[in-house]
Formats: sequence, structure tokens, C-alpha cells
Amino acid sequence: MGTVHARSLDPLPMQGPELGLQADDMDLGEPEHEEKQEVLENKDVVVQHVHIGGLGRTKEDILTYEIADVFRAKNLIDVMKKSHEARQRLLRLGIFRNVEVVIDTAEGADALPNGLDVTFEVKELRRMTGSYNTMVGNNEGSMVLGLKLPNVFGRAEKLTFQFSYGTKETSYGLSFFKPQPGHFERNFSINLYKVTGQFPWSSLRETDRGVSTEFSFPIWRTNHTLKWEGVWRELGCLARTSSFAVREESGHSLKSSLSHTMVIDTRNSTILPRKGALLKINQVCLNQLLSLFHLLIFLVLQVLSTSLWGGMLLPLGDKPSSIADRFYLGGPTSVRGFSMYSIGPQSEGDYLGGEVYWAGGLHLYTPLPFRPGRGSFGELFRTHFFLNAGNLCNLNYGEGPRAHLSKLAECIRWSYGAGIVLRLGNIARLELNYCIPMGVRSGDRICDGVQFGAGIRFL
Amino acid sequence: MSVVHVMSLSTAAAEPWPEKATLYQPLKEDQILLSDSASSLAVQTFLRMCGLPVQVSCCANAEYMSPSGKVPFIHVGNQVVSELGPIVQFIKAKGHSLSDGLDDVQRAEMKAYMELVNNMLLTAELYIQWCDDYTATEISRPRYSSPYSWPLNHILAYQKQWEVQRKMNAIGWSGKSLEQVYEDVSQCCQALSQRLGTQPYFFNKQPTELDALVFGHLFTILTTQLTNDELAEKVKSYTNLLSFCHRIEHTYFKEHDRESQSGSPQSIVDIP
Repeated sequence: MGTVHARSLDPLPMQGPELGLQADDMDLGEPEHEEKQEVLENKDVVVQHVHIGGLGRTKEDILTYEIADVFRAKNLIDVMKKSHEARQRLLRLGIFRNVEVVIDTAEGADALPNGLDVTFEVKELRRMTGSYNTMVGNNEGSMVLGLKLPNVFGRAEKLTFQFSYGTKETSYGLSFFKPQPGHFERNFSINLYKVTGQFPWSSLRETDRGVSTEFSFPIWRTNHTLKWEGVWRELGCLARTSSFAVREESGHSLKSSLSHTMVIDTRNSTILPRKGALLKINQVCLNQLLSLFHLLIFLVLQVLSTSLWGGMLLPLGDKPSSIADRFYLGGPTSVRGFSMYSIGPQSEGDYLGGEVYWAGGLHLYTPLPFRPGRGSFGELFRTHFFLNAGNLCNLNYGEGPRAHLSKLAECIRWSYGAGIVLRLGNIARLELNYCIPMGVRSGDRICDGVQFGAGIRFL
Repeated sequence: MSVVHVMSLSTAAAEPWPEKATLYQPLKEDQILLSDSASSLAVQTFLRMCGLPVQVSCCANAEYMSPSGKVPFIHVGNQVVSELGPIVQFIKAKGHSLSDGLDDVQRAEMKAYMELVNNMLLTAELYIQWCDDYTATEISRPRYSSPYSWPLNHILAYQKQWEVQRKMNAIGWSGKSLEQVYEDVSQCCQALSQRLGTQPYFFNKQPTELDALVFGHLFTILTTQLTNDELAEKVKSYTNLLSFCHRIEHTYFKEHDRESQSGSPQSIVDIP
């Protein structure tokens, strides 16, 4: 009975007697009011048409997947819920500025009495957005130009370009991202970049020019990423006073690596979550036959949060590991109470990193004492009490695993203290802590007392 | 032999010459080029003349390890010094010097001849290596980039070639032809030959850093195989320079083990 719009996917249920009743009731005035009340009380409905208005360059075929679920709604509450979910899915494509949903009774010649039309009014992002910033840092000024082209070919592809021109260094990055239509979590991206970094804790300067491609796909509840990266890496001394161990690593090298990352993230926020857990395991295989395991575990339960990090570099050949591939430990985002990356093997004051490390943290969060600015500004702040521990060393792989474990268990650096945490939107986290470092070995640089930290990922 | 001067150019001057002093240069067999080999041999000869032992270590990234970007450089204690000029100064601060016996006029003359070798011979070597297309393609680029894998080897080799060509442009040598460069080498050798005359060393009985520098360049030119023999022929036409090289090789290199000899294993008498 009646025609069905081509976009419907399932056979729609029809109920004869009710239809007849509804058709009669719709002609009256007051009964119409009752009729509406009836509909609101979980009356069975049928979604007949789903429109998407406001499309320009976006191709329709990728959108059908996102809105398909709306057709399966059986009653009004369900329609509203599924429409909301479809709106979220449309927004996460990153191609619309906003999406509005309008649910109305079906109209037209083929309209059923209990039919509904759902309309999504979308506003596409502009074809190209640009940004220009100037940044001033440590004796350096730079100008950053950004260009973003969302939805380049109409199927949620994204092209971004960033160029930074500074008094000391120049860097750039070009990135192309394409999701699979209908499965946004399956996507691939290609990146081209040149980045320069200065690492004063090692007196090292690094310039990377590289290309990388990565594939992401979900498997059940986990998210996997496979990435190939080819980098031309140039290392150099940051100052004339660099140690000879760092000087020996200067020069050019070519690094080709294949990496796999698995992530399970159930946290409710990336910055200062209140509940959830994060498990991230990363393996990399470099062309010089180095294999690298990197593990991050993060668990939070209301006021208590724990995290455990670990990593290991396994040389499968004769070549020693490069200073740029090794792990570093210490600092306001890592084991607090120590200077930035200033734990472990060092030579003449330059920290060389280690081939294996572990680090753990335990935090207790409470709201600010006396709760100033409750309900608004004060909610962004938290006080926390923390306990951090970790160790970083090189292993002699000729010895057995038992010797390795004992080496990692001795000389543990740890610290405890308290501080204030500020959450900056969903972008960053700031901390101001009073730290007391313990287990300090000769060669480590500590920062006892007040320490300030800003970043995204904290131990 | 050497007069001990107390000159405190740096606190390191007080430290004695360590046993583990090392000289770094590019890989001898596959990578090092004529100009770098000549500079390295000059420094090694100078150190032998001073009686200071040094170990030669070959690294693929020696050029990038050097604080000035030029090879060779020496690692003494915790000091790193590169190129012959600064090394001579550094050694002087430690109390060893070869040119103390010279008066001011002779010292100025020595400096002038060292400048001549650097501006003529060294520049000619660089020109032949990098600005002559045939040599660059057959010898220089493949050797320079041999430790690296594709595509890094091509990138680095061309980068180096363009850098040297820019330098030649800046000093006005890019307009010269290969023949003119050979002529310049010949003239330089003539000047050196005239100064040397029949003396054993440039300043009569005692060798100085000038002798080390001249030996380094001439010996390397004579014993390195290039695409043709013209450069070696230019040097060979001056017999007193030939016997000068022979003499220094015998005095300072044949005495020690064969392993400590840098340059090419060929000795001068074997060259046809």
C-alpha cells in the first residue's frame, strides 16, 4: 500500500486497521491534537523519506551509509534517537559546519498516515580555509601558514598543508586523508613532511624529510593502524660543546620503517578523563633491523588514575641503535621531579637515551580546596597527588632476560608530590607541581621543588 | 728540537698529549676523495714530524662530525680540532712546534707558500674532482656516496657537487678550462720547486708545517688514480719535488709499520 521512496532499505511493516483509524482521525481538528498525543506515545511510525538538503560538492553515495539507520526506526522515540545518531555521524565526517534535523509528517501523493519525513539540513564547510600565525619562541620568530581543503573531491577527502618559515628553521607538511565511504573508521592518509627539532638535553639537532602512508581500520573494539615511513634523517650537534658521543652520531641516514599500532580507548576525554582506559601497543620494524615495542596503559576511575608505559629496542643486527630512535625519560610530562629527558645514560651532560625503559604513575584527583568558582571556572582545575617511578637503561642483549629484569629493577627513579592541573579545553593540560625526586643516580638532572608542565600526554 | 713555549691559549694546553688521540677521515678504500686524502695526509705527516702518535679512524660520516665541516679533524682529550691551520695552532699551544727556529721573515714566507698551496693546489684538486663532468661522474660522485643507500646517495652526491661548483663560482674559477687548471698546477709546482732548490726541506735542515702540507698534496696526487695521468705528470716533471716526497716518505712513513701509513700503499718508485 503506497509507494516507498527509493532510499528505503528494509520492507516496511504495514498495519491495516490502524491506518484506517488514523486516516479518519486526521481530518478533524481537535482529534488531531489527540492524534498527536497518540503519536508521541510510542505509536508505530514508518520513515518514508530522508532528505539531505544543502549539498554542494559532497557526493550523495557516502552519505547514504550514514543515514541508512534512520529507516530502521519503528517508533517516534526511535526516529529521534536514530536521527541524532545520524547527525553525529554526518558531523564526524568533518565536511559539514553544522547539521540540523527536522522530523515532520510525510507529505506528497504517496504519504502514509503514519509516515514521517526526516530532513537533514547541512551546511558544507568552505572549499578552502587558510590560517596565518606568527610565533615567537626562544630567540626565534617564525611565520606559519596553514591551508586546509576539506572534502576535496566530494567524499570527505581532506588535504592539509602547513608551512613554517622561521629565522632558524623551515618546515612544512602536506597531508592527504581519505576515508572509505560508509566506513569512516577505515581510512588511509599520505603525508609528506620536513620537520626540524632541537633537543637541548642531548645537544642534538635533527632534520627529518620524509614520506609516510598509513592505513587505519577497526577490528571489533580495537583500532589498528599500519604505517610505512621513509625518512631522510640528518643529525647534527646543537653547539660546539656537544659531547663526542653525540658528535659521532652526526650525519645523514635513511630510515625505512613499518609500524603497527593497536589502540583501545574507552576514556571519555583525552585530556583529564574521568573514566575509561587506554591501551596502546606499537611495534616498529626499521630497516636496520631494529624492532621496537612501545606500550601505554592508562586507567582512570573517577578520582584515581594509573598509567604504565614501557618500551624496548631490540637490535636484530650488528648496528647499534641511533640516538634519535632511543627512548628518553624524565620531565614534567614523564617522571616528574626530573629535568626534561634527563634520566639515564649520558655523556658530558648530554643524555643519550636508552634502549629499554618503563615508567608508572599513580594519581589521586580532588577538586580545588574550598571549591572556588564552583560550577564554572573552578571545574577546569583539579588538585592531584602523584607518585611516579621509572627506569631507563641500555641492555646487553647477550645476557638473558633475567639479567635484564634485574637491571631494570635496580636503580629505580621515583618521585612524589602534589599540584594543580588545568584542563585547556580538549587541547592541552597544564600542571604546576611540587615534586620530591628520589632514587636519583649520578648523572640525572633533577628539578625538585616547583615544576611546570604543559602537554597532551602525561604519565 | 722543539722549544717549549708556555702559551695558554686554552686550559687544555696544560694537558699532555694523550695516548688515545685520534684522527678522523672518510673511509679509505671506498669513500675518500683526492682533496680530503691530501689534507689528511698533510696532518698525519705534521703529527709524525712533531713525534706525536695518533690513531687514524675512518668513518663514513667524518665530514659531518667535523665542527667546521672539513676533514680531517683530531680528537684529543675532549677537544676537537679540524683542518691543518687550527691543528698547528692547537699543537703549538701544547708546546710542540716545528717553526720556532724560523725568524719573522721566514715565517711570513712559510705562511705565503702555505697559502699558495691552499689556493692553487687544493682548489685545483677540488675543481678536477667536482667541476670536470667526466671525473665527477666516474669517480667523485660514486665514491662520495658509497656508504649510503638509494636514493640518499644521489641526493648527497649532487648536493656536494653543487656546493663545490658554487664555491668555484665565488672565487672565479668556474670560467677556467681544465687545461688552464693544469697550467696553474704546473706554475704552483714550479714556484715550490724553485723555493726548494737542492735543500732537503723548504727551510733547510728542519721540516716545517709547509713541508707536511706540500708532501700531503704532492704524494697524494702522485699516488691517486684519476681518469687520466695529466695531474701526476705535471708534478713528476719537477725532479726535486719527486725526491722531496721520496725523502719524507722514507723518513717518516717507512720507519713505522705498514699499517700506520695512510695514503696509497704504492710507493713512488712503483709508478711507471
